[in-house]
Amino acid sequence: MSTSSPLDPSAAPDPAAHGEHGGHPNFTLTGFVIFLLSESVIFLAFFSGYTALKLSATAWLPSGVEGLEWQTPLINSVVLVSSSGTIALAEWFKHRGSLWGFRAFWLLTMAMGAYFLLGQAQEWRSLSFGFTDGTFGGTFYLLTGFHGLHVATGILLMALMLLKSFLPGNYDGGEQGVVATSLFWHFVDVIWILLFLLLYVWR
Amino acid sequence: MTVLTPTSPSPSPPKSSPPTWLRYFSFCTDAKVIGIQYVVLSFVFFLIGGFLAMVMRGELLTPAADLVDRTVYNGLYTMHGTIMLFLFTFPVLNGFNNLLIPVMIGAPDMAFPRLNALAFWMFPVFGLVLIASFFVPGGPASAGWWSYPPISVQNPLGHLINGESLWILAVALSGISSILGALNFVTTILRMRAPGMGLFRMPIFCWTALAAQTIQLIGLPALTGGAVMLLLDLTVGTTFYDPTGGGDPVLYQHFFWFYSHPAVYVIILPVFGIFSELFPVYARKPLFGYPFVAIASFVIVGLGLIVWVHHMFPSGVSQWMRDLFMVTTMLIAVPTGVKVFAWLGTLWGGKLKLTTPMLFALGGLINFVFAGITGIMLATVPIDIHVNNTYFVVGHFHYVIYGAAVMGIFAAIYHWFPKFTGRMPYEGLGKLHCLLTFVGANLNFLPMHPLGLMGMPRRVSSYDPEFAFWNVLASLGAFLLGVSIIPFLLNMVSSVVRGEPAGANPWRAIGLEWLLPSPPPIENFEDHVPTVISAPYGYGTGKPLVEHQGEIELALALLEGRA
Amino acid sequence: MIRFVLLSAWIGLLVVASHWMGQEAYRWFPVQASNAAPLVDDLFSLETAIGTFVFLGVLSVLLWVLLFNRAEKYDQEDGPPMEGNTRLEIVWTVIPLVIVMAIAVVSIRVNRELGVLGPMEHVHGGELIEAMDHGPGASAAGSGSLQVDVIARQWSWEFRYPGAQVSATELHLPLDVPVTFKLTSPDVLHGFYVPAFRLKQDVVPGRAIDFSLTPTRSGRYRLRDSQFSGAWFAANQADVVVESPEAFGSWLEAASHQPLQPGLSVAADEAERLARQPAGGIRWATVPPAPPPLVNVPGSNSLPHDA
Repeated sequence: MSTSSPLDPSAAPDPAAHGEHGGHPNFTLTGFVIFLLSESVIFLAFFSGYTALKLSATAWLPSGVEGLEWQTPLINSVVLVSSSGTIALAEWFKHRGSLWGFRAFWLLTMAMGAYFLLGQAQEWRSLSFGFTDGTFGGTFYLLTGFHGLHVATGILLMALMLLKSFLPGNYDGGEQGVVATSLFWHFVDVIWILLFLLLYVWR
Repeated sequence: MTVLTPTSPSPSPPKSSPPTWLRYFSFCTDAKVIGIQYVVLSFVFFLIGGFLAMVMRGELLTPAADLVDRTVYNGLYTMHGTIMLFLFTFPVLNGFNNLLIPVMIGAPDMAFPRLNALAFWMFPVFGLVLIASFFVPGGPASAGWWSYPPISVQNPLGHLINGESLWILAVALSGISSILGALNFVTTILRMRAPGMGLFRMPIFCWTALAAQTIQLIGLPALTGGAVMLLLDLTVGTTFYDPTGGGDPVLYQHFFWFYSHPAVYVIILPVFGIFSELFPVYARKPLFGYPFVAIASFVIVGLGLIVWVHHMFPSGVSQWMRDLFMVTTMLIAVPTGVKVFAWLGTLWGGKLKLTTPMLFALGGLINFVFAGITGIMLATVPIDIHVNNTYFVVGHFHYVIYGAAVMGIFAAIYHWFPKFTGRMPYEGLGKLHCLLTFVGANLNFLPMHPLGLMGMPRRVSSYDPEFAFWNVLASLGAFLLGVSIIPFLLNMVSSVVRGEPAGANPWRAIGLEWLLPSPPPIENFEDHVPTVISAPYGYGTGKPLVEHQGEIELALALLEGRA
Repeated sequence: MIRFVLLSAWIGLLVVASHWMGQEAYRWFPVQASNAAPLVDDLFSLETAIGTFVFLGVLSVLLWVLLFNRAEKYDQEDGPPMEGNTRLEIVWTVIPLVIVMAIAVVSIRVNRELGVLGPMEHVHGGELIEAMDHGPGASAAGSGSLQVDVIARQWSWEFRYPGAQVSATELHLPLDVPVTFKLTSPDVLHGFYVPAFRLKQDVVPGRAIDFSLTPTRSGRYRLRDSQFSGAWFAANQADVVVESPEAFGSWLEAASHQPLQPGLSVAADEAERLARQPAGGIRWATVPPAPPPLVNVPGSNSLPHDA
């Protein structure tokens, strides 16, 4: 060891001076925030593609399609967006040290996400147009499908975090996994609000 | 996402286990091993891509399409571009990032070592996917590396697995791998610098890596989005880019160039970083105007994200867009000029040592200035209308990518080779390699400019006889470039095996990496990270870079048995 | 003092060399055969001169340091520790900024003059919407202007003269008469590019793109496909014949009496020849060439051309 290190131990700086740099710190949260910023660009790309195609279209709706029904999706949206609140509550319980409160609200958030996905699946089944019905069909299924994939990923992540919460001493080294998952969930919700405005509100 | 979960704090591996060559074929999380994996594998693909270029230049020796079938030529040029960008340039620079960033900032490893290894191991996978596309029925993708629809989605045989779908798969995987890499590099640079190393005490290579990886994070998702839609058009039958279904082929061009123009800066910015590292060492002077050079990288990033339409001037964009994007493109000359002048200022009045890395860097600089001038010409709308999609463009970007970037990459290899292998490369072979590269590149790519001005389109398998003269010259240059690789390979192999032992700092360079033994131990400085107390590149200032520098150097000398 | 004189002399020499290079640049182009060509060539000449000066300037500095700032073999000393100079930084930020912005302003002005406007309208549902162009051709347009429909295919060019009910695979244009092309493609992207005219416009399927120019020199020129279009992309070329309005008139008149016959398509010929040959060597998949268009005048694509 000493042969491979050229440094006299007395030359080592005070470990406190390099704070997190000592040992093997983890920077999950930094990395995850950067990842989310990057991931948002792909949605931005899809949104701008959708907007460009819709603006330049002469016949946006395929023949025989009336447009989208918005009441049921609105209810789904309210459920999904309010799950941002329940996940925040779960985190709050986690902070207070109440693990069971955390798990309850965490599970509730997962259930709300699952409800949204089910509603989405039901909507897909009832629609009169398909993926290949012009750019309208293509962009609709692409945007909702890609977002749905993120919702499913979020639920899986939450399941993982829920299981991990039963590991003794899991939160001794911080709780970056929980914070990251919750950030991801907020991200998915914000994207959905934009999506809802683009797909259902903008006629 | 699970790959992002915290790494368990493992004790550093016992030093007694001797590092074996097997490490280089394993899922190793050591950044220095991953760096070498990247560099070596990327050079394998460099040889494949170069071979394809030789065949193409062989075809273009004569006006007629006589060496290979036209369809084969189209596949060759498509795969040449794809391989050189996605399987050589990006990976080799990621290799440099892995090798250089931790040692330059005094970090033991990357922020996410397992993610790092995962990003690397995707590289052989998408490399294989791309190479495999040569052997599927119908041949590889042959719509050019832009893969513009509708030509790219024509799929003549109608198979689900075809060259084009494999191409899109490979590019998408490459994008994911690059994003994972970028997450790692950015986090590492932002969070793991040595004590005392503020952003404005960071080596310029790290600045340029940070800038380049920022582009990856912003641009690649857009390309991936566009590629997903292209794949759906190709396989599922959606009509995002198909005008018969209301789609727009030009939309794809926006997605593509929004990333693929800045991608050039992903390549050239780290090469600027290499120039900025090397000129001070071999001119024995501080980098002239360090803060300006550092900031200029991010000015280039900002401008680079708003110039993409200059690739589409004849594609059917409105006049105001042409004018706007011409202005933004030309503005890039300003931060780039700041860098070039800074290098000249660094060299001015210095004490130049014309080593192999220095010669490569100087040659790269000359080629880059030439490419910058033709770049301004290409930005000029009326000129671009004439030379767009001609050999003028091919000449321009090969001056950037080969003349400047590849020469910079070679400079970096010769410069840091002793650091990571512990042995010196041979100067004679290195200088021969440099000479052949410089002459070959200029002979290959200069004749492309008159060809373009005369009106020879790019991507042609045959041409009118009036273009023959310059094409013969270009082909001779290409073959010379092929020959230039021989001394390089000879040099690398023989130096690794029996090169002279290098010592910690053979170039008497200033930088944290030169305060480590060669090759550095697995965790670099481990827990004894020195505290940085002055700006980088303090040549001639007499100021030590770190606290207790004398003791560290003495320890290194003792280790080598010099004192 | 002597250094100042020498430096001035050297800069003077560079200016002369740059000017010479700028003049030389005209010779790198094909002949000027449209009203756009002189504008493009002038701009290129200007940028070549500026670029030559910058390049030679940088090269001079490099040459100087290589000659006079080399370290002796055993010289281990460092150079003077100059870390920067803010005034210099400002100078070499502002000067390039001024130069490129000046170039941009000149180019925008040339752009206005050329008026090479992009495509006007999208096409959806198969309905073509035309729009007028404001180029030098269109502004001079009147009774003397000409309309030609250009159809780019994989891989042939077809030119239709709607007024005269004539079609051809060789493009004939009257000298000094503004012409407006309507560019369409039924399959993939193509590029309408005549180097002697210095003009180029992508042909985008699903759009009809109007594009104007005025030929200013008689001769035979090449029209080349400039946007990659597949297997026979390189062979997708046609000849452009610019002739006096009288000659053009009689050509059009004679053409209108010709019966329809298969036009030129190198791709179709080659594909047919390849189909007869036993498969030798590697050949990868391609869509088959479209059959040659039926036209009144096939013309030629093998006569000597001016550019």
